[in-house]
Amino acid sequence: MPQIEEAVVRKSVRVGVPVERAFSVFVEQMETWWPAEHHIGAQPFETIFVEPRTGGRWYERDAQGNECNWGHVLAWGPPHQVTFSWHLGPDWKFNPDLAKASEIEIRFTAEGPSATLVELTHSRLERHGEGYQQLRSMLDGPGAWVNTLAAFAKAAGGAL
Amino acid sequence: MAIFQKLAKGPMAVNELAGNLPVSRPAVSQHLKVLKDAGLVTDTKDGTRRLYQLNPEGIALLRAHFDRVWEKAMSAFQATAEQSKPRGKHATDRRSRRT
Repeated sequence: MPQIEEAVVRKSVRVGVPVERAFSVFVEQMETWWPAEHHIGAQPFETIFVEPRTGGRWYERDAQGNECNWGHVLAWGPPHQVTFSWHLGPDWKFNPDLAKASEIEIRFTAEGPSATLVELTHSRLERHGEGYQQLRSMLDGPGAWVNTLAAFAKAAGGAL
Repeated sequence: MAIFQKLAKGPMAVNELAGNLPVSRPAVSQHLKVLKDAGLVTDTKDGTRRLYQLNPEGIALLRAHFDRVWEKAMSAFQATAEQSKPRGKHATDRRSRRT
């Protein structure tokens, strides 16, 4: 039987800043680092907001003031931990159904006065199952693309 | 999603899946249908039973998609956090804007 991969993506980076600073840049200044092409509104985002409380909204706002939801704050524990629900499938469309949302947990661990380990776990990816069809239809033929992506996922995951 | 996690252990029939889950068999069937339509689950006939199993390619593709998103985002986060040392004015502006 083939080994089934866990429907989870893990990433970790070390940043040379205090833990409070790392947390602050992550949640309060998301628009300064979030890849600009990944916006879900019709226009590029100007700001990305995280309301600093459990149950808070996570959303983007464009220059005209239009807002698009990304998800919610499921747990708020500054400066060490924040958990979000993620409602965007591979099509980058918002699905309000919590049962179709995955979860992102980010942990910030101080390793020194100016050293922080940031660990991200994006789990329950299978809840974006419908998006798989879209990914699949982007492939030219069965084979090349799939293998490349799978190999990439393995390499990136294994680098942790 | 308990069904998905149970299937990760190997192929299973509906009643096995429903057996120790706190949901009804129709609910399990409905959920399996969603996963099957999405291409994440396939089924095969085993005598009189139908066995469901995960489609490894489906999981791999979803993982690859999110892996790319976060690989890029986390690298950018790292670079931004380290290059932009605390900017007093900007930080104050933002804080007042958000409260």
